[in-house]
Order: sequence, then structure tokens, then C-alpha cells
Amino acid sequence: MLLTPYRVLDLTDQRGMLAGQILADLGADVIAIEPPDGSPARSVGPFAGDEPGPDRSLFWWAYARNKRGITCNLDHSDGQALIRQLAASADFILESDVPGEMARRGLGYDHLANGHEELIYTSISAFGQTGPKAAYEATDLILMAAGGPLILSGGAGESPVRVSVPQAWSHASGEAAIAAMVALRARSNNGRGQHVDISAQQSVAAATMSANLAASIGAAETARVAGGMAVGPFTGKLIWEVADGYISLTFLFGSGIGPFSQRLFNWMYDEGECTIEDRDLDWIGLGGEFISGARPLSEWDRLMDVVGAFLKQRTRAELFEQAQSRSLLIVPVTTVDEVANFDQFEARDFWREHEMPGWPDPVRFPGPFVKLSDNEIEYRRRAPTLGEHNAEVYAELGLDQDALNDLRERGVI
Amino acid sequence: MTTLSNAPGIPTEGALAGLKVLDLMWVVAGPTATRAMADFGATVVRIESANRIETARGIGPYHNNGQGPDHSGLFGNMNVNKLGLSLNLATPEARDVLLDLIKWCDVLTESFSPRAMRAWGMDYESLKQIKPELIMLSTCLFGQEGPLSRVAGFGTMGAAIGGYIALAGNPGGAPIGPYSAYTDYLSPRFALPTILAALDHRDRTGEGIYIDQAQAESSLHFMSAALLDYTINGRVPQLVGNADPDMAPHGCYAASGDDDWVAIAVRDDADWANLCAAMGQGELTCDDRFADLAARKANEAELNGIVSGWTAERGAVEIEYMLQAFGVPAHAVSNSVAAARDPQLQHRGHFIEMEHPEHGATTFEAAKGRMTETPPSYRSVAPSIGRDNDLVLRDILGYGDDRIAELAIADALT
Repeated sequence: MLLTPYRVLDLTDQRGMLAGQILADLGADVIAIEPPDGSPARSVGPFAGDEPGPDRSLFWWAYARNKRGITCNLDHSDGQALIRQLAASADFILESDVPGEMARRGLGYDHLANGHEELIYTSISAFGQTGPKAAYEATDLILMAAGGPLILSGGAGESPVRVSVPQAWSHASGEAAIAAMVALRARSNNGRGQHVDISAQQSVAAATMSANLAASIGAAETARVAGGMAVGPFTGKLIWEVADGYISLTFLFGSGIGPFSQRLFNWMYDEGECTIEDRDLDWIGLGGEFISGARPLSEWDRLMDVVGAFLKQRTRAELFEQAQSRSLLIVPVTTVDEVANFDQFEARDFWREHEMPGWPDPVRFPGPFVKLSDNEIEYRRRAPTLGEHNAEVYAELGLDQDALNDLRERGVI
Repeated sequence: MTTLSNAPGIPTEGALAGLKVLDLMWVVAGPTATRAMADFGATVVRIESANRIETARGIGPYHNNGQGPDHSGLFGNMNVNKLGLSLNLATPEARDVLLDLIKWCDVLTESFSPRAMRAWGMDYESLKQIKPELIMLSTCLFGQEGPLSRVAGFGTMGAAIGGYIALAGNPGGAPIGPYSAYTDYLSPRFALPTILAALDHRDRTGEGIYIDQAQAESSLHFMSAALLDYTINGRVPQLVGNADPDMAPHGCYAASGDDDWVAIAVRDDADWANLCAAMGQGELTCDDRFADLAARKANEAELNGIVSGWTAERGAVEIEYMLQAFGVPAHAVSNSVAAARDPQLQHRGHFIEMEHPEHGATTFEAAKGRMTETPPSYRSVAPSIGRDNDLVLRDILGYGDDRIAELAIADALT
């Protein structure tokens, strides 16, 4: 696998676990380190069978894959000593604690990189390690508000609305994986590791699609449009109601999208549901006609109504089928159950299964995030149970069973 | 803020200095990944054509609300630090140039529909014959195989078919979804670590690799727990507004300004007591209707009414400062005006200002990761079409006047 030579100590909780998972999927030896009573991520729902329990968190199941799991009490001086010993053999450290906490334990970058300058130490936090908001309390909703995506989603004049499956820490974790790999490349050039400082607030800003730049470049604020987006003076409607639910249709003019709109109107004309004049509009240059005033903006609203009426008489399946044969930008708006049963993912052999302890049937997980021509992503380990790999990992430090028992009794592991 | 100077060129410093990337991607998902490489010192040559204007050039926000291919703040943000070469790939002469660039590069990235590269004989199987150590990324919505692999798709469609649209909206209403092309923001988080891992592997083994990314698949890793909740518990998420099963109050509350909202999240009873104290309504902590999470969830409408009543009389930023001082998670729901003033984003240097040939100055976002040893550098604004033709053709490919003239005559450089 691509990252087989590398070892990662993953000290993150639910705020950073995806970072280590990306590296683990790419083949790194990732050791997830939990407090002796379990990672807080094990308390994150939902739970298998809706019963909370340390080995039943679906969040843990999803984001601890391909990692080995050990326990260590970071607030115990002997636990801190164990981490320092393990860090000596690690290429990467990932942590997501509140800024300052790791340093307080003697486990900050400066401590662990002392004498181990190849170490790449990546910190994930809500607002960054320093600055006026570094100590702010944060949750998913707070970060989506602070970083800019939230204000853009929702109906005009109504409350902004978030994606109900928490997203913010995954954005930060993804950026952490990127930056850690950039640092690896720097290290292969100059032999030195470094401290990488990831802010979730900055990471989620990617989900504004640059709308957060509007004021800085003298542009109008991007209007909040339910089921669409403002494109200059136009409303680009993205979500359309059809006979049996909703679809996404990207409907606009211009050289990128115009040809698709042309084909949609060709179909509508064939069905007798638009005029020949509408069909024969210049779908590439139409935007210019609106902007120059050659065509009133109200015409755009009328065209959207024509499309809307056409769609409303058709089902999601029919529209999706036609989209494929006619090359249109239409897909159904799907719910999670439909995603789980989507033919395309099945055809690409996307899903992977693991047996999970305490659960009778094999559990199906989202599969490799990319397909590789060689060194494929393997689902080689299910998420570990609490302390599952204590013996094998601590054996590397020369600790035998008696020593582990002693550490356990003293609450170190 | 210092205004940096705009000087397109070949970088010599940075974590990725010396890395050569040929970028045939467009709009958001792909360019985000190559932008990050360029920030950290890679030489990224981006191919465009005036014959088919890249979609991002038409998407706002627009510089000074103006129109034109170099007015898009989105395009400007996605393509900082890249070199722009215009090639009319409909001509065989342009495809010869492309082939020379493929021989030059370490990494080739493309986001055409799957058949395009094959039609030009530039699919991975063909290219690895001439360059076995090539790292190639193909990224599109549905991937290179499968019944839908020929369906063209934007990230807005990825958000729909990937289940994200149906995860945001109000109870009983139509799905609203996250803003715009959501899967475009997620997929670079998987593509880029893979490219960099593949490079590291190549340096150790000499082996190239082909990366087939279906953006819709990558993006499911941001909702893994919800997928498991369905396959194991049979639960399908409903539209719940901003409600959270484990927190109440939890939502956006209207503040006193115009479209002024504050997000508040009460994680536990301690947060609740602190919120009551901050609101000057300590007596609410003794109110049985709100005694614990279960009670607050059962009486959520009343609860939200009380909080909204208090927020309506204050500005969102003021509320944020007040509640954070009490340890309650809260933040103004930031728009672009607030983002530009945000003291934390300023501290982090999130916005970078640079000279711009058409607009005087422009602003773009900084690289996301703050790195102590190898900081990013900002060298040039996003290219106008063909801005760096000379630099790429002469300095990188070593073409002379005759060759360049031939290309121009063949209409290869438009």
C-alpha cells in the first residue's frame, strides 16, 4: 500500500478521526490512542441497535477502520512517558484536543519533536491554536456559522439551515490529512518534520464556494435561495419538484451548461411542451442578452416556469433515464436509503463489509474513497475494540504482560 | 493588509518545490486540489481554451459586480498561483503540446468525462507505455466505470444523488441542501492525500499509479455514520431544520440586524445554566420544562421562543461575545462582510490581497493548513486565458519562435 512505511499516532477524538482514517486507508500503520475508559467518540451516536455502548457507536465503527487501538491515560505521568516512547517511532502525530492541552501534558509539538525532528505533528482545532477565538467553545453548527457555509443555505428571509449529519470536523480532518501529506513531501526534501495547525473554521470556508470573498472584492452579498443559488442577477434553481419527489437539474446558459439546456429544450419541444422560439434561443449567449438588456430578466423567470411545468409531470426515474440517454444535467434528490441501494455504487463494487463484534450480521461500509490501479485501498481491519492491540503495540516498547497488568491496575492504560 | 505583487513564474521554494503538475480540471473540485499544490510550491500548468470558457469564470461573486471572464471571484480563488496555457485541444497540434507536457509532468490531473482522454489516446493505459512513473488522477462524479460513468455531472448533482440535499431543510418542507456544489468541497480532501501518497510511493519504488475518483463515492465518507444508521438500524434521516438529538437549544436565532443570525448550541445542563445566566434569566434553570435534555427537547418550541426573544434585541456579534464569555458555544452566522472583519480569520491571515492587472487588487483565500516550516507562498493571481503561454512554451517546453508560430497558425493556442 502507498503509505505502508509510515506510522501515525492518532490521538484524536470525534473531532479528527477522519484524518487518521484517510492515512490508514492509504496504508499507514495508524495507532488510535484512547483514554482507558474509551474515546469520547465511542459515545457519539447513532448506535448499533440504538443501544449505546463502547463497541456500538456507529461513528467509531465508521472512522476507526484500519487503525490499531490502544489505551493510554494522557493525564497520568506514566501514560505521558509511554506516548513519548511511542512517538519516537512515529512519523506522524494527529491530535484534536483543545489548544494548549497537549502542551500542558508535556505532549505538545515542542516536547515530542525534541530529538525527533522528523516528526510531523498535526493539530486540529476549532479556530486554530492561537488567536482571539482559539479558546472559543464550538460544535458543528457553531463552526458552520463561523466559517461561512451556514448563511448560504436556507430560504430567503428564513433561518439558515445546516446539514443534519455533522460536517465541520470532517472538513477539518480532510485538510489535516492533506497538510500532513504536504509535510511528508517537505520532509523527504529536507529531512525535517513540522507542526501543522488546522482550523475547522477555515476548513469549512471551502463550502462557501468563494461566496465568502464577496465583500472583499466589491461584489454583492450572495443571496440565500432555497434549493438554488444566485448567479449574478439570475436565480440558478438547482432543486425542482417533480411528480414523485425532487430532482436536481442544473439549468443555465453559457458555454459550459448551455449545451445541456439546449438538449433539454430539444426534448421539451419534441414532447410539444415548449415553443420553437424557446428551443432555438442562443443557449450559449443568452446570459449576455439578459445582461445587455436585449432581453428582459423576466424572460428567465418565464423559462424556469416552462421547465418547471414540464418536470412536474414526470417522475424521478423517468427524468433520470432520459438524462442518461439525452445527456442532461438531471439526477434525483436521493435519501440515505436510496444512496445505500444505488446501482452505480453496486456496479463499481464500492461497498465493503466487516464483521463487527457483538453484531450478528456483516456490516456494510462505504468503500475505498478512490480506486487505484495498484496498491488498492484495503479494508484490512475493522474498528478496534477498547485496548484491542495493547499487548502487541506495547510489546514493541519491551513491556510484557506483567508490566501491562501493572499499568492497567494503576489506571495508565 | 499588505498587497502582494503579482509575478507569475516557476516557484523554487516550498514543501512541494520541484513538483510538476499538468492540470486538465475545471470548476471547483479538481482546481481546489491543484491550488493547494501550487500554494506549497508545485509548478501547476493549467490548460484552458477560449473556445469553451471554463464554467467557474461565469460564477460569482463578481469583482465589483462586473462581467467578464476575469471577474469571477470563484475562478480567481480556485486558480491562484497556477500558470495558464491556452490550448485548443480540438487540433492535433495542441494535443502534441499536451503530450509534451505529459512527458514533463509528475502528476496529470483531469476531470473530463471518461471517454475524452481515451478518444485522444491519452488514457492511463496508453500514457504509462511512454511514462511508467506517471501519477494520473481522473476525477468525475461517478467514476470511470459503471452504468453512469458517461453521465456528466457537477457537484450540485453530486450533492443531490449523494444524499446531501435531503439532509438539509425544514420539517415538512422541500429539501434545501447545503450551498451549491457540495461534493466539490469534499472530494479534494481524498484526491490530494492520495496524489501525495502516490508521489511518495513513486519516489521509493519508481512506480506510477492511476487514481480513479468518483466524487460521489468519496463524499459518502462525510456521512458514513448516517449510512450505517440506515443499513443497521433502518433509519432514514428526516428534514429537521437545525434541531439536534443531543442538544437543545440548538439553532440559528434571529438577532437585531438585517439578515442577522446567531448560532447557539447548548450541549448539556451546564451550558444551559450558563446560557440562562448570560441572558439574565437565571430562574429558568429551576424551570421543570427545561430541567434536562429530555425536557428541553420536549418543550423545544417554547425554549426556542425564549431564546429568540432575547436574541432579537441584540446584534449577533454582541451575542457571540457574551455567550462565549459564559462558555456557551455561539457564533454569529457569518456572511462575507463578517468574514472580512473576523478577528480570528485576520489572525490566521485567511484573506490574501494581491495586485490584479484588471481590478487593481484582488482578494483570495489562503491555503488551509498553517505549516510552521514550509509556509505557502502567493506568487500570482489566477491566469487570464493564455496568460502564461510564452512562459510554458518557451521556458518549460523549450519551444522556439518557429514552433510557436506554427502552433498559432494551426489555431492550437486559442
